[in-house]
Amino acid sequence: MADHSTVAEAHHEVDYGPAWKGADKPLKAGYGKLMMWYFLLTDAFTFSGFLISYATLRASSLTWPDSDFVFSTFPGGLHHMPLIFVTLMTFVLIVSSVTMVRAVQEGKRENKNGAAFWLGMTIIGGLTFLGCQAWEWTNLIKNEGMTLFTNPFGKHTTDGVYINEDGSEGEHFAAGANYIVHRHHGQWAPKKYKVLSGPEKGQVKYQAFGPREFGALFFVITGFHGFHVFSGVVILFIIMLNVISGVYVKRRNGYEMVEKVGLYWHFVDLVWVFVFLVFYLL
Amino acid sequence: MEKSTLFVDDEKLLKDKGYDDHFHEHHHDEDPYQSNFITKYIFSMDHKMIAKQFLLTGMFWAIIGAAMSVIFRLQLGFPAESLTWLKPLLGKWIVVNSQGVGHLSTEFYYAMVTMHGTIIVFFVLTAGLSGTFSNLLIPLQIGARDMASPLLNMMSYWFFFLASVVMFISLFVSTGPFSGGWVAYPPLSALPQAMSGSGTGMTLWLISLTLFVVSVLLGGLNYVTTVLNLRTKGMSMWRLPLTIWSFFITAIIGLLSFPVLVAGFLLLMADRSLGTSFYLSEIFINGHALDNVGGSPVLYQHLFWFLGHPEVYIIILPAMGIVSEVMSTHARKPIFGYKAMVISIASIAFLSFLVWAHHMFVSGMNPFIANFFTIFTLIIAVPSAVKVFNWISTLYKGNLTLNTPMLFAIGFVSMFISGGLTGLYLGNSAIDIQMHDTYFVVAHFHIVMGVAAFFGMFAGVYHWFPKMFGRFMNETLGKIHFWGTMLTAYLIFWPMHYMGLAGVPRRYYKFDVFDTFSQFSELNKFITVMAIIAFFVQLVFVTNFFHSMFFGKKVRSKNPWKSTTLEWTTPILPGHGNWPGKLPTVQRWAYDYGKDGFDFIPQIQPKLDGETSAVH
Amino acid sequence: MAHLSYEEAKKAVIRGLIILGAITIIEVIIALLAKGHMIEGFHMNKLLYGFLMAVFSIIKALFILGEFMHLKYESKALRVGLALPFILILWAIIAFVHDGNSYLQRRLDSGNVIPVEMPPVPVLPAHETPAEHGEHVKK
Ligand code: HEM
Ligand SMILES: [Cu+2]
Repeated sequence: MADHSTVAEAHHEVDYGPAWKGADKPLKAGYGKLMMWYFLLTDAFTFSGFLISYATLRASSLTWPDSDFVFSTFPGGLHHMPLIFVTLMTFVLIVSSVTMVRAVQEGKRENKNGAAFWLGMTIIGGLTFLGCQAWEWTNLIKNEGMTLFTNPFGKHTTDGVYINEDGSEGEHFAAGANYIVHRHHGQWAPKKYKVLSGPEKGQVKYQAFGPREFGALFFVITGFHGFHVFSGVVILFIIMLNVISGVYVKRRNGYEMVEKVGLYWHFVDLVWVFVFLVFYLL
Repeated sequence: MEKSTLFVDDEKLLKDKGYDDHFHEHHHDEDPYQSNFITKYIFSMDHKMIAKQFLLTGMFWAIIGAAMSVIFRLQLGFPAESLTWLKPLLGKWIVVNSQGVGHLSTEFYYAMVTMHGTIIVFFVLTAGLSGTFSNLLIPLQIGARDMASPLLNMMSYWFFFLASVVMFISLFVSTGPFSGGWVAYPPLSALPQAMSGSGTGMTLWLISLTLFVVSVLLGGLNYVTTVLNLRTKGMSMWRLPLTIWSFFITAIIGLLSFPVLVAGFLLLMADRSLGTSFYLSEIFINGHALDNVGGSPVLYQHLFWFLGHPEVYIIILPAMGIVSEVMSTHARKPIFGYKAMVISIASIAFLSFLVWAHHMFVSGMNPFIANFFTIFTLIIAVPSAVKVFNWISTLYKGNLTLNTPMLFAIGFVSMFISGGLTGLYLGNSAIDIQMHDTYFVVAHFHIVMGVAAFFGMFAGVYHWFPKMFGRFMNETLGKIHFWGTMLTAYLIFWPMHYMGLAGVPRRYYKFDVFDTFSQFSELNKFITVMAIIAFFVQLVFVTNFFHSMFFGKKVRSKNPWKSTTLEWTTPILPGHGNWPGKLPTVQRWAYDYGKDGFDFIPQIQPKLDGETSAVH
Repeated sequence: MAHLSYEEAKKAVIRGLIILGAITIIEVIIALLAKGHMIEGFHMNKLLYGFLMAVFSIIKALFILGEFMHLKYESKALRVGLALPFILILWAIIAFVHDGNSYLQRRLDSGNVIPVEMPPVPVLPAHETPAEHGEHVKK
């Protein structure tokens, strides 16, 4: 047997694996940050699961209301403002992402007050977004009557003409036209119409409800996103208190904690990009 | 050729070549991890203790799950016999008719089948297998003090524990546990009024599995980051033992597939409790039409199997890793085709996400897209075959030590081949129309997943028992356990192929109204008897396990199997931090067995004088 | 943004705000245009529209990931590792949606009437027009 210890000495350096010196950071990120990234990846898959379910159910429905018809109200009783309010909501979220970036920057400079201030701004942004969402939900539920089980937003599959109360013919519409089934004093009041195309031509019918998954998916998925925003706000608040109390000053790691919640916050914004795409644009 | 044993003074190597991370300077006075009984044994943050917790909880569930299968097999094998003697245990679930003959109630039969599947798949073969061995081996084999986040690691176990508690409670609710099959398809799972187990039982099932997912994700995040960031000096990825590779990739699969199940579960919960109809449409219950319309039950199946198929690989990959490691050690040969093994693990993992709908060929899924699923499914056979070929080549001309862990490793390969081949039948959508939901499928997945994964787990337990408890398990009992299990497993599941080919459907309570199936009543009896024997053979293992824990032969040397990997350079019973002094540094890959006339060269050994090739 | 000075970094933030805001506005304008709100009678090809929207959204997402979440400045291995899994999502989208579509097709082909939900049609006294006389209508 060889006297291996001396031989090994000579080979000491080359023996390590390629560029691997151990307990190193192969991805140049500490384990906390890595875990946050991989957690966000899993969360992205949950959201993907939801959005793909949306697409699947939409594909298996005969009709689907158009978003520019459904989301066209603006606070203050304004109507016919398609997608304007949700654009505003999107802006709020983008701005809050920007203030978050500022908080991280100030944290990196170990500027306690700056970090706390921008965290506060981010929290305000988050709360504003939640407020907007609350208004949007309330409007849909209270005023327009969309719930988890009922969707008043329908779409005509045939051409037709509405029939007024007195039996005279009213407005004409084409296949693919959106409508909302109105309510009067808490009662559904679907309008009567005469079918003008297709095999049922000539029949008189009432407006039907739209596919109910539309509403259910809307509330479940935006609710799940809103829940993320909400928990983000709570976490941001805790971190802000920590910043103010000076916990991170002692750690001297450039407020890494602020950076990690920052990742989470941006992720919430990132998911919104796709929620916005799927629910409001497509 | 006679191999000489290299004298390795690992104490000296650790001291000279070790890498000082100043661990013990920080922890020298009082160890916060193990200061009292509660932090040492219960809310422990030490990966080795957490591994034991996973293992013991897994064994607890394995016994319950197996006992359930015995109960429903009794009903299937002996439909005419009275089961009244089970009444003290099962109470109202044994229905006694006017002649005094007791039968398992139909609801409870379904509940047993469902719980058996859920428990074995999730609690035993996921948590019990990868939870145990990932925790035990990742830090030990990569040369780390512990997991990246011991706290999350502890929480991972306790979420599993909570999931277990909730599932256990569901066994005792008056309407019975969930009974719609382990896959929980709607409408049985979505409508609380669908069957008796669909009410409280299903609610608890969902809560339990959601907690379980949290556990898997916490564990997985930890395993992945630990393998990436905490490897010791010299332990490059291509020097990792195959165990670590398989745990690493398993964790990644879990992180990507379970979240999609969460989405599916949340929609299911909404259907159950909020009255939505994501998965429901046009349903009649008791002749009464429900007003749930517009949903699609097939959507749930897609979401479920997007997890479900990767899940079966979550179960089998750790077993594959363990088998590779055990086999190489006890064959005293390097594993054949190390890189091919890694690449095939990775490609199996990737492909496992593309094939989920092969479980749905008969669901009403589009037959055109089924073609793609068929093709992807059949492609998985390629990396699977590569692995089988490599195991067999590793055995070929090896210097085999046929001890219990090795026997189980070889048994694993046998099972994996038998079950994998029937997978190829099932993967063809045209053939599957005939086979789907028959005993052929039951035979397929029990052999390839159930038995094979258990074999991997047994191989691991017998092999690493010395590391866990400082004692050996009894070899004689171990061999009885192996041969008993091997024989009964084949005798139980082999005949099921024939029943399946004849069209006998799975999940039926009894077959006596079908004349065509009466030919199998003797066979059913036989299978049941074998299942009972198999159950008792497992009790041999349990006895061996607990007896050896306290009275087994003591391990006297640090490296009883003459293995190359790092865990055998720790003290016989490693304390917190695993290595008392410096961390080992790694000088070579994990499979230098029988090289250059040496029986084995451990990973911490620098290149020897006159060694042929450069180190891997 | 470790590579930029503090002042530059602050400017980059404003730039990010402008870019994301501008893309969003462009998206909404195209959406309104495509759906016939801008020019009477003009509708964009649905496929083209969907494609455009997806591209814009992905650009936004990449921007948030790269700049705000600093992924641009992280190691390549981390970036690739995070990106690769989305190949799986791609196949999932194709398979799920294709099969969802086929589910509808089968319902149509089977000749079964696709269930349409009707609101309960109000039975109103003939002389009463519902809108004005709310106080008379009882639940
Ligand atoms: C070459 C490899 C394999 C192929 C082609 C394959 C194919 C299939 C197919 C097509 C089915 C669906 C049968 C049906 O329900 O009609 C199936 C069922 C199943 N396979 Fe495999 N399989 C393979 C390997 C595996 C492995 C390695 C495992 C587990 C470790 C596994 C576990 C299962 C399980 C659990 C089921 C049944 C699930 C249920 O319906 O309850 N398979 N397999
Ligand atoms: Cu499968």
